[in-house]
Amino acid sequence: MKDCENISESMGRWLDGELSPAESESIRAHVAQCADCGEAQRKLEKLQLALEGALMAESKSIEFEPFWRAVQLRIAEKRTWYEDALDWSRGLFTASRAAWAIPALIALLLAVASLESYFPGWRGGAGRNAFAAVDSIDAHGRNVALLREYDSKTTVIWLYEDQEGENETAEEPPPPGPAF
Amino acid sequence: MKLPKNLRRRVLLFSLLSFIVAAGRGAAQKQPQIVQVKIGTILASNKNDEFDAKLKGLENQLRVLKYRSYRLLKDESQNVPWQGSKVFEIPGGRSLMVALQEFQDNRIGLKVRLTEGQKPLLDTTVRIANRGNFILGGPPHEGGVLVLSISAVAQ
Repeated sequence: MKDCENISESMGRWLDGELSPAESESIRAHVAQCADCGEAQRKLEKLQLALEGALMAESKSIEFEPFWRAVQLRIAEKRTWYEDALDWSRGLFTASRAAWAIPALIALLLAVASLESYFPGWRGGAGRNAFAAVDSIDAHGRNVALLREYDSKTTVIWLYEDQEGENETAEEPPPPGPAF
Repeated sequence: MKLPKNLRRRVLLFSLLSFIVAAGRGAAQKQPQIVQVKIGTILASNKNDEFDAKLKGLENQLRVLKYRSYRLLKDESQNVPWQGSKVFEIPGGRSLMVALQEFQDNRIGLKVRLTEGQKPLLDTTVRIANRGNFILGGPPHEGGVLVLSISAVAQ
């Protein structure tokens, strides 16, 4: 019974000559000794003959010449780059490619996020020229200034010494603080 | 749910890629064992127009201060162990203590204390970019002022 099911599934391809010689021989032997499968074969052959006859009758009235001309024109037609790109991009959205592309995109995003660790400052973040961040300053009662200069990305902490008492030993008074 | 064979292979490959990227990222973010701290001690004054050629790399930053003359007095580097500290001698009987505090997002957190003898002049906590610097200036010295360029490189 199982054999008959398998034979029935393969019979169409057998009659179309699509099976290997060994498979064809196996089916032919089975059909020769099985009445049900022999009957199925005859019905299928009859149906094929009927279809073939109808198709041949219809094909006489079909104009194939314009169809082939159109096909040849399309083959010879010079396609623009954006048409090619469009066709290529359509192919990207097939299920199998999407299954690959989504993980690849995630991996790419992870890699971009890691770039800062490998190449510090590539996106202008905490690169070597980034400003220093001053969290706290205690000048113990003295005046202090904090300057950030944007062109050279310089952070300056400037300590103003007391003018009285602190510099009594200096030969000449120090220059005033910088003109920030 | 049984996944098709090729899809399973791709999921496996993706997991492997993610693991490699994440592992690499983790390694790159690892705390440095040693940070090289470099102190450049510069005398800035208005006595003349001399600009020390050794300070070429700092020229743009020093010009911000608007002094006429800049001379490198001392350039000292020390390796500071993680969460340790080092003391740098600064001309004029001063000293600069630099302690490492943190390393995050490629920035190095430094606690800096400038003293004159036993007297504290300045305490500050600064986060600078790895290989970056900041300027600490103001203490008078030999008719000018001292300018310290404090930089750090994680090893």
